[in-house]
Amino acid sequence: MKKDTGNKIKLGIFISLGIGAFILGIYFIGQRQQLFRSTFHVSGVFQDVGGLQEGNNVRLSGINVGTVENISMVSDTSVRVDMLIDESTRKFIKKDAVAKIGTEGLMGNRIVIITPGTGGKAEIEDNDTVKTVQPINLDEILTSLKNTIDNTSNITSDLSRITGNIQSGKGTIGRLLMDPSLAQNVESTLINLNEGSVDLKQGLSGLNILIGDAQSGFAQNFDSTLINLKESSANLRQGSVGLRSLIEDARGSVGQNFDSTLINLKEGTAGFKILMDKAKRSWLLWGF
Amino acid sequence: MKEKSSEHSEDQHHEAEIVPETFSEAAPDSIFNRFFLEVSSLATFTLRFFKEVFKPPYEFNELISQSFLIGYKSVSLVGITAFIMGLVLTIQSRPTLAKFGAESWLPAMVAVSIIREIGPAITALIFAGKVGSGIGAELASMNVTEQIDAMQVSGTNPFKFLVVTRVLAATLMLPLLVVLADAFGLFGSFVGVNVHGHVSTYLFFSQVFQSLQFQDLFPAVVKTFFFGFAVGIIGSYKGYNSSEGTEGVGKAANSAVVFASLMIFIIDMVAVQITSLFQS
Repeated sequence: MKKDTGNKIKLGIFISLGIGAFILGIYFIGQRQQLFRSTFHVSGVFQDVGGLQEGNNVRLSGINVGTVENISMVSDTSVRVDMLIDESTRKFIKKDAVAKIGTEGLMGNRIVIITPGTGGKAEIEDNDTVKTVQPINLDEILTSLKNTIDNTSNITSDLSRITGNIQSGKGTIGRLLMDPSLAQNVESTLINLNEGSVDLKQGLSGLNILIGDAQSGFAQNFDSTLINLKESSANLRQGSVGLRSLIEDARGSVGQNFDSTLINLKEGTAGFKILMDKAKRSWLLWGF
Repeated sequence: MKEKSSEHSEDQHHEAEIVPETFSEAAPDSIFNRFFLEVSSLATFTLRFFKEVFKPPYEFNELISQSFLIGYKSVSLVGITAFIMGLVLTIQSRPTLAKFGAESWLPAMVAVSIIREIGPAITALIFAGKVGSGIGAELASMNVTEQIDAMQVSGTNPFKFLVVTRVLAATLMLPLLVVLADAFGLFGSFVGVNVHGHVSTYLFFSQVFQSLQFQDLFPAVVKTFFFGFAVGIIGSYKGYNSSEGTEGVGKAANSAVVFASLMIFIIDMVAVQITSLFQS
């Protein structure tokens, strides 16, 4: 009887543990699906949900704050996504919040990403509809990628043709790289240049010497010229002094002569005037 | 004894009615005939179970006793197996996920595998091996030693006392064992994840429950009731209808395990189809 009771207790513990584990499982899964939290509803209308499913996560600033509750077709071009979001995050989601559909990692599930909106706006309300941004369509990416690949293919084929031409010595670069005569020419040019540079070096050294000589001769001539100039200027100076005294002397005698000449001329003109008056009155010159 | 004989003859009469005459006449021991005979007998046995289960008197004490033997006594075996399965699955999955740089998905992947399939299926198979064979062997030995006849003579309904209690206990205990096996399996996975790196308990179980949904848990648990019922009813049927003396005990235990295991996979396949039908 005692053993039977013990067995019953053990069975009770086993059943309790089993049911407890099951309830815990339900609780934790339900907690993730916002089952035991205060929530509010938000919806968004998308053109294409890109494989989003009911139960997928809703993220706000990278944190899971809710789940997709329902997805329904509104028209042939729009799909309505109803989301269940944790009430505690409502204060961070503003009226101008934007929802877009993203991916959880590279190959992960689809998720709804909500950007909170600007600070000054009012908080979002229950059953509000948020603005949406259309998700990037993988097909569009692939189409774009295909164009890129086509272009790359064209470029590589062009490159292949160019390298073929280069290898066969066609074109400027081909001849430059592949023609041996050009290389020989270049080599001989370089040799000539080398020789020319040696000659040039010698010429320059000769020129240097010449210039040096010329510089020394020129300096001597220049010196003698300067001396001559100096002497000439001294002579000129003496000449100018003599000339000045000559002029002054000349000025004194000429002045005197000029004065006497003027006096003579004055006296002459006075005598001529008297003579003229007498002549006027003479009968011999009547009528003139 | 007479009653038992008449009951047997009545069963056989029913079987004769169900099985097409052409089969039995053409080749009474052919594989097809034996298979269909087995199916009809099992169907009759199952129908009888449903008739008896709701009919008083109820054998609660025996049900509790059987629940203890079937459920509690299997915890250690199921727990160790589930722990090892979780550990091994994690360690084996790691290199493949590491190739894609998706090691952080390990808890989520293992959790979904364990909860959806490995937990229920492996536990049910172990349960079939331990409990199904036990029920089959026990009832077969009781049948061989005429204890079942003796019970009937003493006024006890052997079907109600032996079969109904065992089948009910198996049906009710397996889901509990599966839930515990899931927990042990997840713990094994946690240990497996920490063999090569370090993931905190909180982060691991957070990732586990992040990846799980109700549609992962509920269908998995619901199907275990059917698994348990299949193990109980097949074990009981094989044991209750055993023959050929002591040799029949071994045969009953063996065929109970084989047939129950097969039934588990068939039920699993049907359950997956039904689940995916509702999920899509």
